[in-house]
Amino acid sequence: MKKLNFSPVLTGEKEAVLRNQVRSFLKNYGDFNVSNIIDSWSICDPELSRALAAKGWLGMTWPTEYGGGGRSYLERYVVIEELLAAGAPVGAHWVADRQSGPLLLRFGTEEQRQHFLPKIVKGECFFAIGMSEPNSGSDLASIKTRAEKVDGGWLINGSKIWTSWAHVCHQMITLCRTAPTSDNRHAGMSQLIVNLDNKGITVRPIVTLAGEAHFNEIFFDDVFVPDNRLVGQVNEGWSQVVAELAFERSGPERFLSSYQLLEAAIKELREANLTQQAEPIIGQFVARLMVLRQMSLSVANQLQEGKLPVNEASVVKDLGTSFEQELPEAMRLILATEPRSSAEGGVARLLSDSILKAPSFSLRGGTREILRGIIARGLGLR
Amino acid sequence: MNELAQLIEESATRLFEDFSNGNGHELMEAGQFPDTLWADFLADGWLTTLLSEDDGGAGLGLAGGCVLMRLAGYHKVPLPVVESLIAVYLAAKSGAECTDELIIPVVITDPINDQSDINLYGVPWARHAASLLVVFTRNNATRVSIISSQDITIKSAQNMAGEPRDDVTINVSQLDNFSELQGITIEQIESWLALSRAAQMAGALQKVLEMTVDYANERSQFGRQIGKFQAVQQQMAVLAEMTSASICAVDAAIDHLNTEQEWELIACAKITTGESAGYACKTAHAVHAAIGFTQEHPLQLSTRRLWSWRDEYGNEAKWSAQLGQRCFELKTDNLWNWLTTQTGE
Repeated sequence: MKKLNFSPVLTGEKEAVLRNQVRSFLKNYGDFNVSNIIDSWSICDPELSRALAAKGWLGMTWPTEYGGGGRSYLERYVVIEELLAAGAPVGAHWVADRQSGPLLLRFGTEEQRQHFLPKIVKGECFFAIGMSEPNSGSDLASIKTRAEKVDGGWLINGSKIWTSWAHVCHQMITLCRTAPTSDNRHAGMSQLIVNLDNKGITVRPIVTLAGEAHFNEIFFDDVFVPDNRLVGQVNEGWSQVVAELAFERSGPERFLSSYQLLEAAIKELREANLTQQAEPIIGQFVARLMVLRQMSLSVANQLQEGKLPVNEASVVKDLGTSFEQELPEAMRLILATEPRSSAEGGVARLLSDSILKAPSFSLRGGTREILRGIIARGLGLR
Repeated sequence: MNELAQLIEESATRLFEDFSNGNGHELMEAGQFPDTLWADFLADGWLTTLLSEDDGGAGLGLAGGCVLMRLAGYHKVPLPVVESLIAVYLAAKSGAECTDELIIPVVITDPINDQSDINLYGVPWARHAASLLVVFTRNNATRVSIISSQDITIKSAQNMAGEPRDDVTINVSQLDNFSELQGITIEQIESWLALSRAAQMAGALQKVLEMTVDYANERSQFGRQIGKFQAVQQQMAVLAEMTSASICAVDAAIDHLNTEQEWELIACAKITTGESAGYACKTAHAVHAAIGFTQEHPLQLSTRRLWSWRDEYGNEAKWSAQLGQRCFELKTDNLWNWLTTQTGE
C-alpha cells in the first residue's frame, strides 16, 4: 500500500503579490463576454486568453527559453484559482496551458517545444484533447483510430469525440493506435500533434443538454501528419497519457466549477435574513472547499518538486467533483428559489446552470469509477 | 514541520506499540488506570515536551504535540495523552508549576451563575486526575483555576470506547483562586482541544484504513480475495480519500497555528475528521464483516474511539455552524478574499 501524500504547503509573500495583480487585472477587465459563469473553464474567449497571455499568465511554469514565465506551480495555482473563482472564461487556452505544454516539455522534441510553446504562451495556439472515441470512453485502451506509417509521416483514419473547442483550437494531441493490438492492451499507441486545419478533418458540433456547443466529434480521413509531429516514443503513448493525468486531474478547476453559486447563495441568504438555518450547510461546504484547496496546493507543490502524484490527483478530482456536484444540490434546499434557465443572472440562473452542467463534472477527465479504480490500485487491491 | 514530525514519530512509535499490545485497554475499560503504561509515558519525558526549553520542555509546541497525539490515536493508546499534554501546556502559559501528576483541562463555555454549582459533562479521565485545570472567562479575561480533584464531586461514566468521561461538579467559589492567561481567548483553547481530538482521529482513520486494506487482501470468498471485487474496491477508494483529506486537514491546521487563519483551519480539521469517521467505520465494518463486529478483533478498538471522538469537543454540525456563521458575518461580500487569506499570505 502506497501512502497518499498531501503534505500541506504555505504560500507566501510572492503568491500574495501575484494574487493582487490578478485581482486588479480582473477588476479593470470589466464584465466577461459570456452569458453564464458556471464552469467557466469550459467557456471559450480567445480575447481574454490573449489578454492573460499579455500579462504572462500562460505557460507560467515553463522555462523562459520557450517564452514561459519560469515561475513556480504554486504561483500558477494562485493565478488559475483567482480566474476560476471570478468565473473568467478561460477555456480557450486551458488545455494547452494545463497539459499539452507540460507534455511537450516532458516528452516533446526540441523542435516541437520551440515551435509550439512560444505560440501557446502568446495565446496564439490552442490545443484540444484527442483521447475519447465513440466506442472508447472510460476504456481508453480500446481506441480504434489508427495512424499508419507512410513515407515522411503518418496517415490517420478514425474519429475522436467529446473534444472540447475543436472548432476553435489549432492543434490536437491525438492518441492513435500505431501497432496491431496485442495481449498488452496498453502497448502500441502513440501521440501525434494534429493541425486541425489539415485536409481530411471534419468537425461536427455536439450540443450538450445545457444547450451549449463546446464539444465535437472529429473525423479523420487520410489525414497526413509529418514525422516531426510524433510526441515522445512510438508505441509509448499510454505511459505518456498517464503522466499527463497528474496535471489534468489535480487542479482547482476540479472543485471550483460551481463555486459562483456558493458565493451568490451566501449573499442572497444574508439579504433575505435566512442565515441561521443555513449556517451548518454553508459551513460544511466551506470546510470541504478549504480542505480541497489545501490538497490541490499540495499536489501543485509536488509537481514543482518534479513528482508525478497520479494517485493524489485522482483523490483531488474525485473529492473535488463530488463537492462541485453536491453544492447545487445543497444550495437549492436552503435557497428556496426555483432554478430558472431564462433568468438574466442571480441565484435562480446559477442554480439552473450548475444543475444542468453538473453531470459532466465527474465524467470529463476520468469518471468517478475509473478514478476510484486507480486509487484502489494504489492501495494494493488490484 | 515534516522533520519534526519524523523525529517524534521515530521516538514515540515503539512506546505506543508496546502500549497497544499490553492489557491497558482491559484495565481502562474496567475502570482502572493503566499505571505502568502511564509510568512509561512519564519516564520517556513526553509530558512536558510541548513546553519551551525555558519552561523545562523540548519546545515541540502545540504543533509537535499534535503529531504525538496523531500517533496516540493511530496506536489507540489507553492513556490521557491528549488531555495531559494540553493541560501542562496551558498550565505553563498561566505560570503554574507542574509536576508529574495528571491534570485534565476543562473549558466552561456556559455563562457562570455566581450562586450555583457548575456541572461539567463528560470530563475525560477526571476520576484518575490529581487536579482539573478549569478555563473560564471573567471580565473579558481568560482565567485558569487549578482545582484538586479531592475538592470536587465526580460521577464515573464512559464513552463508547470505554474511555473515562466523568460528570464533575465544582463549586463556583473554587474559581476564586485563579491566574490569567494573557493573550489567549477561550475560543482558542476550545479550538486547540478540538484540534487535538482531530489529530487523534486522523491517526485512528489511518489505522482503520490500513487494517481494512490488509483484511481485504487476506480474506477470500468466491475463490478470490474480497479486495479484488470492484464493489469493495470502490468503497475502499473512498475510505482512502476521506482518510487522506482528514490527515491533510489536520496537517494544514497544525501548519496554520499562530497565523490569522488558525481557527478556521482547526474548524475544517474537526469537521473533516468528523465526517470521515462515520464513513470509515461503516466501510471498515462492512469489509471486515462479522469478525470485525466482535470484541476479539482489534478493529473495534479504533472504530469505537472514532465514534466517540467525533462528538467530543464539538461535532461536525457544531463546527460547521460556527464556520458558517463566520461566513455570514464577513464585512465584505467577498467570500473568496476571506478563503484565500487562509494560506498564510
